[in-house]
Amino acid sequence: MALIDVRNLKKTFPIHGGVLGRKVGEVVAVDDVSFSVEPGETLGLVGESGCGKSTTGRTIMRLYEPTAGEVEFAGKKLFQLKAEELRQVRRDLQMVFQDPFASLNPRQKISTILEEPLIVHGLGDAQERKEQVRELLHVVGMNESHASRYPHQFSGGQRQRIGIARALSTRPKLIIADEPVSALDVSIQSQVLNLMMDLQEQFELTYIFIAHDLSVVKHISDRVGVMYLGRLVELAPRDELYKKPLHPYTEALLSAVPVPDPDAKKERIILSGDVPSPDNPPQGCAFHPRCPHVMDVCRETRPIFDDAGGGHFVACHLHNAKA
Amino acid sequence: MTQPVLEIQHLKLHFFTDKGVVKAVDGLDLTIREGEIVGLVGESGCGKSVTSLAVMGLVPQPPGKIVDGSIRFQGTDLTKASQRELRQIRGKDMAMIFQEPMTSLNPLFTIGNQLIEAVRAHRSCSKAEARELAREMLEKVGIARKGVLDEYPHQLSGGMRQRVMIAMAMILNPRLLIADEPTTALDVTIQAQILELMQRLNEEFGTAILLITHDLGVVAEMCDRIVVMYAGQVVEETDRYRLFRQPRHPYTQGLLLSIPKLDEQKERLYAIPGQVPNPYQMPAGCRFAPRCTQVMDVCRQTVPPLAPVEQGHVSRCFLHQKEESHHGTD
Ligand SMILES: Nc1ncnc2c1ncn2[C@@H]1O[C@H](COP(=O)(O)OP(=O)(O)OP(=O)(O)O)[C@@H](O)[C@H]1O
Ligand SMILES: Nc1ncnc2c1ncn2[C@@H]1O[C@H](COP(=O)(O)OP(=O)(O)O)[C@@H](O)[C@H]1O
Ligand code: SF4
Ligand code: SF4
Ligand SMILES: [Mg+2]
Ligand SMILES: [Mg+2]
Repeated sequence: MALIDVRNLKKTFPIHGGVLGRKVGEVVAVDDVSFSVEPGETLGLVGESGCGKSTTGRTIMRLYEPTAGEVEFAGKKLFQLKAEELRQVRRDLQMVFQDPFASLNPRQKISTILEEPLIVHGLGDAQERKEQVRELLHVVGMNESHASRYPHQFSGGQRQRIGIARALSTRPKLIIADEPVSALDVSIQSQVLNLMMDLQEQFELTYIFIAHDLSVVKHISDRVGVMYLGRLVELAPRDELYKKPLHPYTEALLSAVPVPDPDAKKERIILSGDVPSPDNPPQGCAFHPRCPHVMDVCRETRPIFDDAGGGHFVACHLHNAKA
Repeated sequence: MTQPVLEIQHLKLHFFTDKGVVKAVDGLDLTIREGEIVGLVGESGCGKSVTSLAVMGLVPQPPGKIVDGSIRFQGTDLTKASQRELRQIRGKDMAMIFQEPMTSLNPLFTIGNQLIEAVRAHRSCSKAEARELAREMLEKVGIARKGVLDEYPHQLSGGMRQRVMIAMAMILNPRLLIADEPTTALDVTIQAQILELMQRLNEEFGTAILLITHDLGVVAEMCDRIVVMYAGQVVEETDRYRLFRQPRHPYTQGLLLSIPKLDEQKERLYAIPGQVPNPYQMPAGCRFAPRCTQVMDVCRQTVPPLAPVEQGHVSRCFLHQKEESHHGTD
């Protein structure tokens, strides 16, 4: 059974304008997104900036109030939980952020940062918590001598380790990692990716791994979902998605990634135009103004996100006849 | 072999701050020949931007100071040029584009105004002529929309702003274009458009390009020659084929092994241990020694020289000298 099941998730943000700050429109940041993740699995979410990856993660965490949809996590309907119940569930559901600096309180020592979740969830006494902090630091490749320092005294890679240690402190089942390595240099990025994969094995973690780097997502994920303008346009097992992308957007995206191999022969699909603004997405298929395969139906009817066989989901009229 | 457009020799640019001296660029050699695209890669803080700012004469002094070396651009030593001479060269013979185009576009002026200004600063021509040149240039960079000349920067998308920046840099047909992370802030599908554009301009006008990036995929696709920097120094330089097929410096080797690739699946990535040195406390010998898996005693005491390992391939590492003496070719 899936550990988390996201059904028809939607999140809109109001746009305020004019002198009175009245609502003049809305951004549909996440639009009818559905997926599930099995225990121990890593689901990667990719897409270009502003396509709604972070908003998806944050809405699942209920850091944003959902506009519509449902999330079932370990048998509980997250959007129906009261504050106290939600607090308890959060033990099992943690998040790691892109900017490790912004997400760590600069005035708190590392020991305090790591101990806080334990206190909030009433885990252990003072002595046990101290022991836990020590262990957490070891788990992420740091040591006690770091406990009494402040975030600014660490490098980006070390801060990201601290962010991961904090997320691990309550022994969660699921970690939503939002661009956890995007701010890091390549040589440090691989250290953190290896760490995350080791921890997954050690603690049987399930990940939702959000990133815009397609190579990084391919490396770490079992299945990968591709978002465009708030929508999930394709979702498939990793190798299937990278070898046989079905959606024209996925195809273009993959072909656009520069390959660090001068001998690689590539057919590059250069898309024309920019990503449209999410406050005024195109009718029908949101990708149609840039799609090399656009048909009449695409301009009017939104394609259904459907299984094209073997768990390879795609939202495109080329592949689903039922629309 | 074609003429060098830019020749940097033994450049040392240090920052003198309250906390100490940052040797941001410490003995850098770099040559760019006519029509060439040269990539400058390395980790955050290794001195890529400072190098490009030094060439443009845009390093704040103080705290910065060129303590040694020369920067020859078409024969003139820029380190000795006056501000006036530099202004003459900048924008005309040598132009630069930055990662964040908003920092170099003035939000208060229309795109047309800024392009016309750029032309008239260096060439005596009428406003109408300059405007026509601007329109043509925008078309060349793929902005066909009529009204753009009368729009303001904030009305354009990130990709369009970067195109405008490129148009502005290219409008006087410079001999050298310095592009510092020109696509880092852009999405990959837009990045592909911009890289294609830069390649086209290089072919069409023969403009030499210094492309600064941390993305090894971008240099592999774009550059004739690649220069790898680590902690203020060049550690390896060769053509792109040899760099990716036979990297010689342990840092380059580690770097190439640590990137995940689209066309292969590995269980584990290689990770270079440790982290880049603190800029205020650079290691005494080889700057990579604290992270190098092949470190020897000599590495901790002496700075290895940047030396040829084969024709057209240099590397800064004592291992090569050891190999050579083994082969008795020294
Ligand atoms: N104005 C300044 N004052 C003091 N130190 C500076 C100044 N500008 C740059 N530095 C230092 O010089 C070194 C090189 O910086 P530089 O901006 O060239 O790095 P970079 O290679 O471009 O990195 P990135 O990939 O992050 O852009 C760094 O240690 C930086 O902190
Ligand atoms: N707090 C917010 N208020 C208003 N709009 C937001 C907010 N957060 C995100 N958005 C908008 O929602 C869309 C999706 O954003 P986001 O989820 O951050 O994208 P991604 O993480 O994929 O880059 C964007 O148009 C963004 O501007
Ligand atoms: S639905 Fe139509 S426009 Fe959309 S991706 Fe498929 S073919 Fe292209
Ligand atoms: S000089 Fe020594 S420490 Fe430096 S890269 Fe070569 S082997 Fe490693
Ligand atoms: Mg985001
Ligand atoms: Mg820089």
